[in-house]
Amino acid sequence: MAKTRSGSRPLMPQNAPPVNEGAVIELPVRARPRKSKPSGPPRFRIFIIDSGWNSVARRVLRHNFALVRRLHRDDSIYLLSRKRSRDFIHRHRSLIGRDPIIAVHDLDAIEQHYGNAGFHGLHLHLGILRTPRQVLTALQAFARFPRVHRESPDLETDIRSELRREGIVGTVEILLHKVPRVIGG
Amino acid sequence: MFDRLGEVVSVVLGALALGYLIYEIDRRKRKLSDLFYLLDNEDADISAELMDMVESGELQPHTRGGRA
Repeated sequence: MAKTRSGSRPLMPQNAPPVNEGAVIELPVRARPRKSKPSGPPRFRIFIIDSGWNSVARRVLRHNFALVRRLHRDDSIYLLSRKRSRDFIHRHRSLIGRDPIIAVHDLDAIEQHYGNAGFHGLHLHLGILRTPRQVLTALQAFARFPRVHRESPDLETDIRSELRREGIVGTVEILLHKVPRVIGG
Repeated sequence: MFDRLGEVVSVVLGALALGYLIYEIDRRKRKLSDLFYLLDNEDADISAELMDMVESGELQPHTRGGRA
């Protein structure tokens, strides 16, 4: 039996129709007009290849997929089924143990290079990571990167300089934390 | 003599620290470029197969209701 509230303010107005106890009351949904930004043709094509290793990366990717999807709603995302992923990786053995893989094709670069001869995108090899935190950080970097560099005329240079910067940050981190420990600091 | 020994130990420790630093930086660099792997002409066949799947209609873009 549900408790009835005793207070000065009635929960329902006097003229409201009687409601059965336990009935679900649907609150009116405020219809908000959707803000639709006019977007040009998609810059990227994103593929998710996951053969189904029971890995940390797989779990983190599944948990955050909806968010990744929402952040990349301007681009087409293609999910390869488990079987299709297995067959695909079987044909391209260099990918074994690296999945889940998020393959991003830069359609602008493909058009410029007349196919996929030069730089044409990147693979995020989540399967090589061991901890959920590492996977999440990589996934967040991935989610941010194509959005930030969507208008970039030279994505390859952008990625390389970003990686270099990450490398420098890593070096500083090593200098600050690891070396003092190694030399007994 | 102990001064000399102390110097040798310092140099060896310094060399070890430097070696470790170089090794660690190199390891991180390799891991980073393996994680964010840039596609070039060596990977053309991998990318071409994915693109063919899309062009042939074998792969359809994921829609909101689809399963992850």
